[in-house]
Amino acid sequence: MNRAPLIFLSIFFALALSWTGIVLVNQISYGSLQPVYDENDGKAYPLQTPGLAARGKLVYQDLGCISCHSQQVRRLGYGSDIARGWGERQSVAHDYIREDRVLLGTMRTGPDLRNIGARQADHTWHYLHLYDPQITSAGSNMPPHRFLFETRKVIGQPSPKAIQDKLPEKYRPKAGYEIVPTERGESLVEYLLSLKDTYAYPETKNVYVEPAPEAGKEGEKK
Amino acid sequence: MASLRNLAASLNPATSTDDVNRAESREIDASTKWPAIFLLGSAVVWLLIGTVFALISSFKMHSPEFLGDYEWLTFGRMRAAHLNAVVYGWSVNASFAVAFWLMARLSRSVLRHSGLLIVAAAFWNIGVTLGIGGILAGDSTSIEWLEMPLYATPLLFLAYALVGAWAVITFRFGKSQHIYVSQWYILAALFWFPWLYSVAEIMILLTPARGTVQALVNWWFAHNLIGLWFTSIGLGAIYYFLPKVLGKPIHSYYLAALGFWSLAIFYNWTGVSHLIGGPVPVWVQSAGIVASFMMIIPVFVTAINHHMTMLGNFDALKNSPTLRFIVFGAVAYTLTSLQGSLMAVRSWSEVTHFTHYTVAHAHWGMYAFFTMTMFGSIYYIMPRILLQEWPSAKLISLHFWATAFGVTLYVADLSIGGIIQGLLLNTPVLAHKFGLQEGTDPVPFLDTVKAALPYLKWRSYAGILITVGHVAFAINFVWMIVRSVEVTKTKLTLFCTPTDTEVAAR
Amino acid sequence: MSDNPIKKDPRLDRSGLSDERLQEVHSILLREKPEPKEGDTPLPLFILGFVTAVIFAGIIYFVHYRGGLETGFHKAALIYDERYDPTKAGVAGQETKVDPVAQGKLLFQTCAACHQATGIGVPGVYPPLAGSEWVTGGDERVVRIMLQGLTGPLKVEGKDYNGNMPAFGPGGGYNLSDEKIAYVISYIRQEWGNKAAEITTDKVKEIREKGDVGRVKPWSFEELEAIK
Repeated sequence: MNRAPLIFLSIFFALALSWTGIVLVNQISYGSLQPVYDENDGKAYPLQTPGLAARGKLVYQDLGCISCHSQQVRRLGYGSDIARGWGERQSVAHDYIREDRVLLGTMRTGPDLRNIGARQADHTWHYLHLYDPQITSAGSNMPPHRFLFETRKVIGQPSPKAIQDKLPEKYRPKAGYEIVPTERGESLVEYLLSLKDTYAYPETKNVYVEPAPEAGKEGEKK
Repeated sequence: MASLRNLAASLNPATSTDDVNRAESREIDASTKWPAIFLLGSAVVWLLIGTVFALISSFKMHSPEFLGDYEWLTFGRMRAAHLNAVVYGWSVNASFAVAFWLMARLSRSVLRHSGLLIVAAAFWNIGVTLGIGGILAGDSTSIEWLEMPLYATPLLFLAYALVGAWAVITFRFGKSQHIYVSQWYILAALFWFPWLYSVAEIMILLTPARGTVQALVNWWFAHNLIGLWFTSIGLGAIYYFLPKVLGKPIHSYYLAALGFWSLAIFYNWTGVSHLIGGPVPVWVQSAGIVASFMMIIPVFVTAINHHMTMLGNFDALKNSPTLRFIVFGAVAYTLTSLQGSLMAVRSWSEVTHFTHYTVAHAHWGMYAFFTMTMFGSIYYIMPRILLQEWPSAKLISLHFWATAFGVTLYVADLSIGGIIQGLLLNTPVLAHKFGLQEGTDPVPFLDTVKAALPYLKWRSYAGILITVGHVAFAINFVWMIVRSVEVTKTKLTLFCTPTDTEVAAR
Repeated sequence: MSDNPIKKDPRLDRSGLSDERLQEVHSILLREKPEPKEGDTPLPLFILGFVTAVIFAGIIYFVHYRGGLETGFHKAALIYDERYDPTKAGVAGQETKVDPVAQGKLLFQTCAACHQATGIGVPGVYPPLAGSEWVTGGDERVVRIMLQGLTGPLKVEGKDYNGNMPAFGPGGGYNLSDEKIAYVISYIRQEWGNKAAEITTDKVKEIREKGDVGRVKPWSFEELEAIK
């Protein structure tokens, strides 16, 4: 008996099942979430990533930052994400709907960056940290990103973006030279600063609330 | 009774049915020669390239200044290049070769239109080269397991379409009516792969789905690439070579069937377990967790089946290189899958998610299981298609011990390091209980980095050991192809001198 | 199988064919075992029990953590806490009381980058918060520093410092609300042995709306000395 057709049909349905359950159902049930318009602010959340930051996201992608940095905050009580100040609330699907590419990440060799713009809003800190992470975070194993900067001769007015004066002694260039972030470096920092999920969507309140002690038995019956 | 038949066969080989089969096998092997050499040759090249990328990324993890001034060598790009070189370069090429050789043999059909396969393989390799070049040049998509830029994918699709067409032709011409368990796995894998890959390409890169639906598609694809392609081909190879080398049937058809169908049903839901606690609906996460937990059914069943087949034949491990690699792979499959089921449990995932523990798990599966199985298969296939023996048993031995010891060290080291990192990172109360930290507040993030550093260094040492094994393998491989020695009678390349040709049948 | 006497049979080598060349070719074939087959050992009963038990456990788990699936896929798609039960929403005390010091501790992660988690700062650059009169003293000065930042040399507890503190108030990069500024100050006033009163949101608001409302320039030491 040739059972090839039967086997073929069954392997088709095996994958069809998970494709339906994981991909199709979710695409239908929340694949068309719309931004939420807030009447008090007059803005629709999540906000659109501004232009320079959007270009910075491409730099973030091509450097492979996702290998070490996640962009998702887990709920209070599950992991220490919120206790570490990585966010005020859990990340929800709404936070990502304006993004063409969702970079949730699966590694935290470095800290989560979903709210880095709210946590560390200082441009200079980011430039120093990218130039050599040891300056701001001694002992870090993040690679230096000096290729996002150029050392050039000062011609005429020194650039207002130059960072060499803020670098520790050993990194400083010869007199008459300045270190400025390249366009890629600048846009990357803009992107990092744009990362903040501050708006509380209604579903962020869908969290478990510890029942009052006398209702404890009720909870178990579920 | 069977022994009587064997006696008859050995006394008069030309007339027994078994020997007709053997003569046929010879013809089938010859027909697979060029595609197999091309695929395996490119696989070995990618293996070496991938190993170099791996070493560079591993060193960078504990010495960030290492090659720190070159943008194209930065960690993020090296890691993506490593992953793509070993997955799409080494693993896919090797699995193509092994799958086709097995298919040809098991369906007892001479491989027709092998030119088509070589063209497909060439397209595939050009596509992968283009993709990895793209990653290094800065065109990475940053989608895990799909980092290759969009311009590399048409070539990969074309290559795969050719391969698929060819597989259909070969299987149609098959004379054998019985479909052996290895064939179920390979057939299913060949069918599943294009579905997974095209859905992922379309929903993530071409017309991106909104928000975190992308993440679901991403992990549905990536975990299934491992589960439905690499695991299927790997198990197919184990199901063939284990009984083949031992010369006895697989323990039970029913266990094999149960193992296959439960894998087919449950495995493809497990990818969501990479998103536990993330911004995707909690019911999908639960479904993924349940599926991962269910995976202990196929794993347990398959392990019993393999073990019962091996039972009483462990002596053969002393002689046969193929068997040694295959058994190592089979054991690793069982262990890494059980670990996978454990990792999906919410409370364990809370600790180990986002840590080096996951990296250990990935290498346990993709290396200790899949790659070792492919090594074993290659040691069996090459002498049959080239009609030559492996030049050096010492190199095979070095290859086995360096990789086996290396990957064991790798996995053990990163698992421990990952757990420590995870406890400090995610569950300070537990970390305090185990005496890893004072107090029950989260320690500064940098402390979690520093705690993992020694383990990252040991990972590099393990990597060097694995590299030694790969170099030994590559030398033996190239040596075997370039030397022009004729068939060397019955002298086999084995680990010790066999007194008994049959037992030592590699 | 391995003890099969046939395998040691010396006739194996000289069997059948005498032609040297033919034997050579066949040697490769002869050492191959037959193609593998599946044996027909039936499934042991305990396997069926095992499979049933695993499936049963899986179903129980899924039903328990179904995440509001009974309310339909659309609603369940927006639930991210596996313990949340939509049918009970609003029943238990939704009004959770906020502890300003605990909230401030979370927010302090940012400050710890310079002032350190221990609150002792960095000599010469970032002044200490632990035991500092600037923290525990008058409300207005500490709120102003938080709102608009501080730049240039300053003297704290007799030591010199020269760093930059960014503005955390509205309009700055951090854009913290009055509420959050109150949390942070409440926290630093009660940590590391500091003992000063918490500050209320209204107080922060009052100070912010008093005087220089539109000020973006960071404060200097001299200006702050004047405020106290």
